[in-house]
Amino acid sequence: MFLPDIPELMIWAIYFAPMVSFAVIACGITIPRMGFQARHASRLTITAIGLSWILALWALDTSIGLDGESAGFAPHEWLRLFDFEVDFGVQLDSLSALMMFVVTSVSLLVQVYSTGYMHGDGGYARYFMLMSLFTMSMLGLVMASSLLQLFIHWELVGLTSYLLVGFWFHRPAAAAAAKKAFIVTRFGDFFFMIALVLIWTKTGGIFDITEINALAAQHQLSDAVLVGFVLGVFAGAAGKSAQFPLHFWLPDAMEGPTPVSSLIHSATMVAAGVYLLARFFPTVEAAPGEVTTTIAYIGAFTAILAASMGIVANDIKRVLAYSTISQLGYMVMAIGLGGFVAAIFHLFTHAFFKSLLFQGSGSVNHATNTFDMRRMGGLRTAMPLTFATFIIGSLSLSGVFPLAGFWSKDELLLDAWHHDKFLWMVGTIVAFMTAFYMFRVIFLTFFGEYRGGEEVDVGHDVAGPPHESPRSMTVPMIILTVPSVLFGLFALNGFGGFIEGTLPEEIRHFKFHMDSVVLASSTLAAFGGIGAAAAVYLARTPKPEQLGRAAGPFYTFAAGKYYVDEIAEGGIVRVVLHRFLGRWIAAFDRVVVDGIVNGTAVGARRIGDIARRLETGHLQAYTSMSMLGVVVVIIVIFVLSGNVLER
Amino acid sequence: MTGWEQVYHIGPAVTLLGGAGVVLLADMILPRGRAPFALLTLLVLALAAGWAIWHANTGTTGPSFDGAVVTDRFALFFIFLFIAATAAVTIASTDWVKKLDLSAEYYALLLVAAGSMSLLVQGNDLILIFVALETTALVQYVLVGLTRRDRSAEAGIKYLISGAVAAGLMIYGFAFLFGTTGATSLDGIASFVQAGHEEARLPLTLGFVLVAAGFGFKMALVPFHGWAPDVYQGGPTPIISFLSVASKAGGFAIALRLFYTGLGGSETFISEDWAMMFGVLAVASMLFGNIAALVQTDLRRLLGYSSIAQAGNIAIGLAAVSTGSTLGPSGVMFFLATYVATNLGAFFAVIAISQRIGSYEIGDYAGLIRRSPMLAAILMLCLLSLTGIPPTAGFIAKIYIFNSAVQAGEQWLIVLVAVAVVNTAVSAYYYLRLARTMIVDDAKDEMTFRPTLSMQVVLVFAAVTVIFVGLVPAPLISAAQRAAETLQIQ
Repeated sequence: MFLPDIPELMIWAIYFAPMVSFAVIACGITIPRMGFQARHASRLTITAIGLSWILALWALDTSIGLDGESAGFAPHEWLRLFDFEVDFGVQLDSLSALMMFVVTSVSLLVQVYSTGYMHGDGGYARYFMLMSLFTMSMLGLVMASSLLQLFIHWELVGLTSYLLVGFWFHRPAAAAAAKKAFIVTRFGDFFFMIALVLIWTKTGGIFDITEINALAAQHQLSDAVLVGFVLGVFAGAAGKSAQFPLHFWLPDAMEGPTPVSSLIHSATMVAAGVYLLARFFPTVEAAPGEVTTTIAYIGAFTAILAASMGIVANDIKRVLAYSTISQLGYMVMAIGLGGFVAAIFHLFTHAFFKSLLFQGSGSVNHATNTFDMRRMGGLRTAMPLTFATFIIGSLSLSGVFPLAGFWSKDELLLDAWHHDKFLWMVGTIVAFMTAFYMFRVIFLTFFGEYRGGEEVDVGHDVAGPPHESPRSMTVPMIILTVPSVLFGLFALNGFGGFIEGTLPEEIRHFKFHMDSVVLASSTLAAFGGIGAAAAVYLARTPKPEQLGRAAGPFYTFAAGKYYVDEIAEGGIVRVVLHRFLGRWIAAFDRVVVDGIVNGTAVGARRIGDIARRLETGHLQAYTSMSMLGVVVVIIVIFVLSGNVLER
Repeated sequence: MTGWEQVYHIGPAVTLLGGAGVVLLADMILPRGRAPFALLTLLVLALAAGWAIWHANTGTTGPSFDGAVVTDRFALFFIFLFIAATAAVTIASTDWVKKLDLSAEYYALLLVAAGSMSLLVQGNDLILIFVALETTALVQYVLVGLTRRDRSAEAGIKYLISGAVAAGLMIYGFAFLFGTTGATSLDGIASFVQAGHEEARLPLTLGFVLVAAGFGFKMALVPFHGWAPDVYQGGPTPIISFLSVASKAGGFAIALRLFYTGLGGSETFISEDWAMMFGVLAVASMLFGNIAALVQTDLRRLLGYSSIAQAGNIAIGLAAVSTGSTLGPSGVMFFLATYVATNLGAFFAVIAISQRIGSYEIGDYAGLIRRSPMLAAILMLCLLSLTGIPPTAGFIAKIYIFNSAVQAGEQWLIVLVAVAVVNTAVSAYYYLRLARTMIVDDAKDEMTFRPTLSMQVVLVFAAVTVIFVGLVPAPLISAAQRAAETLQIQ
């Protein structure tokens, strides 16, 4: 638009800049002679991601100039073994340009924030190494033009998330959370992989995403293939985006450093599932209606389920985690309802204000050394900047006019209103709950009396009364308030048309409009939620304890996270896997796997001993073995070619 | 063609052999122990590489010396490989050589080995092939026995005698080929075979099996492998690292040349027979090498058996001749190129570690990741590549060579690949067990250490190559494919 079109090489540079930073830090850590110091790691990471950010802006500018349509860079051959061909390339269209912008902006601010939050941590360099790797993988994921390329980065993102959640691996909770996150998302990935193999076999080796979408849109894939593929992709997306029933890893993942949550578990990786569904939107649309309806209902159910858990959680980060699951549920619901623009728009605004809120929780933790809201309170005066930015983020998330969250949530509810009134009702109730739990957090954390904090080993030392965080942490938060407030206004400025540029003409149907019923009800829900929270937690009429007692079993259920963890771990893992499947698998393992893997290995050790005895070190043996070998080989050839007598 | 034009064709080999003379001369002229032999050697290697690049760029091809020598991309590919391996070994062994009072001889012998192997891959006549192969072998016998200590001398003698037997078998095979076809030039043999003299099948088969015995000695294929574990354990490790890659590559190169050009590629009545022979040798080598490697406790012996098993993997490419395309031979070439980087990386890491800890026992490598993270990391990377785990070069190489056999579409080849896949699982056990020892087990000694600068340079270079080829295999694949195309009979 303003600049000349971005050349392909520069898009690759967006990807390679963090890769270089990762490689240099990795070398610096392993090769002591380089004289690499920890502070170099953060500088290098910030420089690299800053470069990526500038280039991502250029890419976004180019994409706007192209009205969001694909820039059409030809893919490059990566590997070719006759009929098996693997291409890698970059896709530049509205969707990828927007995602590159989101990923680089949030990542850049989170890196700056991390220099304050991780200051003095023993693994400072390792932390930035992993952050570089994560940013690289996430960028590779969003710019991939081939499904295989996307999948590789999808797995890389999962791996780095695992390493970062378990960053403080000496804490058992962190190690367990990392494992849980990895296994649960891998469970979804397993179905994603099946979808990948399915599309590969059914299309004869087409991995190009645009081509797959075109095939689906032209009805060249059978319904069975479409259902299998879309459900497989959805299962992968549900794992990454923490949708029911694979949602329960995300709250535990809060054991990782808070900036990691702010980047990975609010703005980027968890949004990758929604991005994946959006990438394959033409294919999803082409699938039978039951599939999309299922997706929409799972999203809506996740939204309300997570919101109810958010209301009763006492850990500030976990409230935010539930809120993230709930908002992702909104986006998935929108995809299922055909609301492509609404889903991406909400992803876009949510990335900024949720990242802001996570940084706010990290800032609070920095001051009080706890994440437990029951030990906070009254931080308004001690931490005015954190308070102000947290309020703005919460208002935006609650959907208060005219902040960013209002516009994107309104689009979502509008789609629901037009397609399914029941889902619209659910969505509006969730909006009420969202406002309620966010302001519950605010009143518990920033109002009332300070309730003491706690000495917890979180990797850095803070003592004494709470104080405002260093500037390296507050400045990114202040910067993030700008998109949290203003970016909703793009709704008025052709955002929908731009983002639909990536879709084929036939399924573009976005028109910006408003509906007074939807508008009024969602605004009412937001203010209602805030008001209710104020009544309970500020005025204390009714008292929260009374409310909890009145809700009775519901409260217990929600506080117990609906026992999904217990069902998943105790029920499914222990009973089904260990007792039932376990026995079969163990038997299978003993007989077959032992026979093949261990058996060849351990059993072969015995043969190995014999083989070693053959290696006696005697020359005569070696030479006669050669001679004998010649004779044997000659005989074998004639026997194998089967007609010794003929000649 | 004038005499000088003919010499111009074998320029790289002449440079290397002449360079060896220069190194020996420098030893006589310059004061003892002062001369920068390593630099001189690298200079000679660079000159030879430059000449080879000149050939590649000007497209110098065709026969010379009355058809005994042929210059083509195939030969140049291997010449580059030999030069790279020699250069890496030269740099890596600078510190080791200082303790030896034979440094000039050592470098000169390395250059002679590289030079005669360069001549070998250009050979297009049985007589030249035999002479070049024996020159290489002689040099290697001397190198193995170079330190003249007990074990080294014993290994040298063992290597010499089994090598002599192999050479005897090979020349016997050459005699069969010559007696049957009446030609010593590969072109002459090829035209006889292509004429379809099916009555000559028995003597031809005897001939090529005996020849394969001689080449199999170089490649360390079962049952011609007997020397390998003993020599790997007894010989000086830097020299073994050279032997393990260069000698193997030379054996496979000349096998490709003789069987593809001489025995008429995939189109003749005899090709199915020798393809099957390589299939049998491949299975035997993979099974024997991997199973014997499982019980080794000495790292050098482990690498010795591993090199036998890897030779089995490579031989699959020779067995896949019936694809009728360049897939099989280019697979062998690609595999060898990655194997050079991977195996040298592994060997150099082992050398650097064992020089410090004074042991080649696997148990003494416990907890190495904490003592020398760089060496442990590079050794692990190379082990992953040897196993064939992505994103390393070894993964692509295995996929490529397995694919070549599957593409051929014959049932016994698919069985061969199945055997190879099972063997990969077995090999993972001992490769990864070593990796596990280095990471998980507690170190007996906490003293940390670092390799010397020259060692770091080659180690990092090897590691980068392994990763780079694993991520971007296309250039090397296309180089191997273009080189393999020139192998077809003209």
